Amino acid sequence: MIRYALTRLTLLVVGLFVASALIFFTLRVLPGDVAQLIGGTQASPAQVEAIRLKLGLNEPLLAQYASWMGGVLRGDLGNSMLNNASVSAELLQKAQVTVPLGLMSLTVALLFAIPLGVLSAMQRGRTGGTVISFASQTLAAVPVVWAGMMLILVFAIWLGWFPTTGFPRQGWDDPWAAFRALILPALTIGIIEGAMLLRFVRSASLQAIGQDYVRTAAAKGLTRNQALIRHGLPNVGLSIVTVLGLQIAGLIVGSVIIEQLFTLPGIGRMLVTDVGNRDLIKVQGELLVLTGFILVIGFLVDLFHRVIDPRQRESA
Amino acid sequence: MHRHHTARPARSFRSARLAAVGGLAVTALALAGCAGGGGTDASPSAAPNTDATLTVGLVLEPKSLDIRTVSGAPLEQVLMGNVYQGLVARTPSGEIDNALASDYKISDDNLTYTFTLREGITFQKGGELTPSDVVSSLAYARDTPGVVEGQTLAGATTIVADGNDISITLVEPDANFLWNLTGRAGLIFDEGDTTELANAANGTGPFTLGTWIQGDSISLDRYDGYWGDQAKVAEVVLKYIPDFTAGVNAMLGGSLDVLTAVDANLSSQLDGTDGITLTKGATTDKGTLAFNNERAPLNDPRVREALRLAVDHEAIITAIGGGNTLYGPIPPTDPGYEDLSSLVPFDPAKAKKLLKEAGQEDLSLTLTIPNFYGTTVSTVLVSMYNDVGVTLKVNAVEFNTWLEDVYTNHDYDLSFVLHVEARDFGNWANPEYYFNYDNEEVQSLYAKAMASVDPKEVDTLLAKAARIVSEDDAADWLYNAVTVTALRPGITGFPVDSINARIDLANVEVATE
Repeated sequence: MIRYALTRLTLLVVGLFVASALIFFTLRVLPGDVAQLIGGTQASPAQVEAIRLKLGLNEPLLAQYASWMGGVLRGDLGNSMLNNASVSAELLQKAQVTVPLGLMSLTVALLFAIPLGVLSAMQRGRTGGTVISFASQTLAAVPVVWAGMMLILVFAIWLGWFPTTGFPRQGWDDPWAAFRALILPALTIGIIEGAMLLRFVRSASLQAIGQDYVRTAAAKGLTRNQALIRHGLPNVGLSIVTVLGLQIAGLIVGSVIIEQLFTLPGIGRMLVTDVGNRDLIKVQGELLVLTGFILVIGFLVDLFHRVIDPRQRESA
Repeated sequence: MHRHHTARPARSFRSARLAAVGGLAVTALALAGCAGGGGTDASPSAAPNTDATLTVGLVLEPKSLDIRTVSGAPLEQVLMGNVYQGLVARTPSGEIDNALASDYKISDDNLTYTFTLREGITFQKGGELTPSDVVSSLAYARDTPGVVEGQTLAGATTIVADGNDISITLVEPDANFLWNLTGRAGLIFDEGDTTELANAANGTGPFTLGTWIQGDSISLDRYDGYWGDQAKVAEVVLKYIPDFTAGVNAMLGGSLDVLTAVDANLSSQLDGTDGITLTKGATTDKGTLAFNNERAPLNDPRVREALRLAVDHEAIITAIGGGNTLYGPIPPTDPGYEDLSSLVPFDPAKAKKLLKEAGQEDLSLTLTIPNFYGTTVSTVLVSMYNDVGVTLKVNAVEFNTWLEDVYTNHDYDLSFVLHVEARDFGNWANPEYYFNYDNEEVQSLYAKAMASVDPKEVDTLLAKAARIVSEDDAADWLYNAVTVTALRPGITGFPVDSINARIDLANVEVATE
C-alpha cells in the first residue's frame, strides 16, 4: 500500500512538472503580449520595446521558464506583469468565491442526483422512471449560459429573491449576502452537473440490482428495492466517487462560464481576464494551481479506492 | 502684453479625455440616439444625502492603477479628475478649464506659458502641493521613457517655478500644448512620494482611492481635505460588469444607481422601468474602417473610393442602434470639424463602376476586427460589399492580436476599431501609424496647425487637412458613437458627455429617501 502510494505520488510530481512546461511554452504561442497592451495605441514601437525589456520579455524562453519554476519551487508564483500584485495572494482571494461555489454546486448535484438516480432505477420501466430519465437527459443537454439566464430572469428579476449578479464587496464578512449571491450560480452548475451524475447513478444502480448479492438478499425475503438500498448502494457509492473526481474538472470549467455570467470575482473570471491581458505570469500560475488541484483529486480518488475496496488491495 | 484667463470656480472642474485600449471597447456596443448637453443639473427639490454610497456600473476594468505607465481608457475614466489632477483639465465638451492653476497666461510669441498655482492644496496623504511638485512632475513625465503621453511635453525645454508661478517655455509654438497638459503627462504628483501607483494613489482630487477588488470593483472615498467644493457623496463604488446583459440585469435588480455604456439595443428594457431615466451623450469615438493604404489593390484610389461609396452609413447606425454619421477623421467636438458628407454619397452603382475600371471586379478582402465589437458591424459590411461584388472575409481577433497584427505589423487589408481619443488627427500626419497613409500636404498642414497661435487658423488648417484625408479615401468613418447612461431616480449631476473618457463624480448627488 505504501509502495503504491509512493509510486502514485511520484507520478503526481512528474505530472506537475510536465504540465508546468506545457503550460509555459504553449502560452508563449499566443499572439500579442502584455507590453503592447501597456503601451496601447499611442505608444511607438520603440516605447513598446522598452517596456518589453523592462519586463524581461526578451530573455530566452528557457531562462524565463527556469526563473519561473525557481520561484514556484520556493512557493512563489510570481507577480502580475501589469500591476505587480502577488499571484498567490490574488488566487487566495478569488478562491473565496470559487471554492464555496464549487462545494455548493457539488452539494446541489449530489442532493439532486443520488436520490433521483436510485429512484429512477427502482422505477425502471414504469412512468416515474421514464419521466426522471427523460428529464435528466434534457437537463444534461441544456447550455449552462441559458440555464443561468433563465434562473436570473425568474428568481432575481421577476421574484427578486436573489441578487442578479455580483458578490458583496465585504465578501464572507457578510456571510448571508455572500451565500445568497452564490445560490443561483450554484444551482445553475449543480443542476446541470447533477443531471449528468443522475444518469450515472441510475445505470450503476441498475447494474447493482442485477448482481448476485442483491438477488440473494431478495431471496432471503427483502424486496428488490430494499435489497438494492441496503446492499447495492455501498457499491454504487464507490463508483460515484470515481466519477466525482472527473466531475470536479467539469465544475471548474462550469465555474469559468458561470463567473462571467454572474459577474463573480472568482478564479474563472480572473483567468479569462488575464488571458486577454496576456499577463502570462498570472495565467501560468493559475493554470498550474488548477492542474495541480485536479491531479491531487485524481491521486486521492485512487488512494481512496485502494483503502476501501478490498479487491484492488488484493490484486496489487 | 498677455492674454489673461481668469479662474473659474473650483466646482466647474470637470475632465474629459480619452486614451486608447480599453476605451475602444467601452464604447464598442454603447451607442444610441442623439447627442446631449453637459451634466444634468442638480435638482434642489430633495436634500442630498451626503453620507450616501453611489454605485456605478461600468464595462471595462483598469488593468493596473498606474496612471503614469499603463495606457488605457478605463484607468483615466475613473482616476483622472476624481483622484489625480493637473494644472488644467478638460470639460466633457472638449474645452480646457483651470484646475490646480487658478490662472494662466500665454506670452505673445506663444512660447511661454505661466501658470499661477492655487494655494493651500494638500495631497491626500497629507503633503502640501508646492510649485516644486509641479516642476518635478512635469519634468519627470517629459524625461522618463515609459510615461504615458510623456513625449507630448518633449518641446517644453524649461520648466521653472518663481514663487507661486510656474513658467514653461517651448522650443516652438504647439497648439496642442495646453490640451496635452490636461492629459496624463500633465498630472501633478507629490515630489519624492513613494506610493506604489499600480495599487495605490496619492492625488489632489476630491476622492481618495478606496479598495480595488480585482475582477469586481473599485471604491473611491470622499477626500475631506479637498481644496474645492466637497464631493456630494461619501463613497462611490465602481462595479465592473463586462457583460452588457448582466449590466442591465444588475440595474433592473436594483444593485446599481447608475449604469454607463448601456447597449443601445437593450436600453428599452431600462427606459422608464422603476423610474429609471436614460441620457445620451456625445463622444469623440470614431468608428474607423481603416484601409491599408500601401497594400495592393488598396493603394489604388479607385478601389478605396469604391469601398466607401458601397457603404450605407445610415443603415450601419440603424443596425448598431444609434450614433451619428461621420465622413472624415475629425468628430464634431474637436477643432477642425467640417461636415464632409457630400464627399461620400451612398452609390453602389458607381462603386461597381470604379472597381471595374480598376480591374477589381472579383475582389476579396479580409477585415480584421477585435472580437469585443460583436458581429453587427462586420455582418452589415459583408452584405454591403457583397452587393458591389467584393467578398469580405471577417477575421475577428482578440484585441491583443489586433495590436500585434494590425497596429504593430501593419499586416491587414481592412481593420475596424473605435478610435476614442479626442484630437488625434495627428495619426493621419504620421506615415508610421498603422493607416500607412503618407501625404506630405496633410503632414505640412498639420505641422502648420500645431505651430499656429490662432485657434481660428488651427481650425481652418486642420479642416483643410481632414478634407484631404477624406478626399483621398484614406479610410472610411462608419459612425461617431453616442454613449447611453441609465440613472435611478434621485441621482442628479451625473455627467452626460464623453463619460467613456472621464467620469467627473464630484458633482453627483443622491437624494435623501
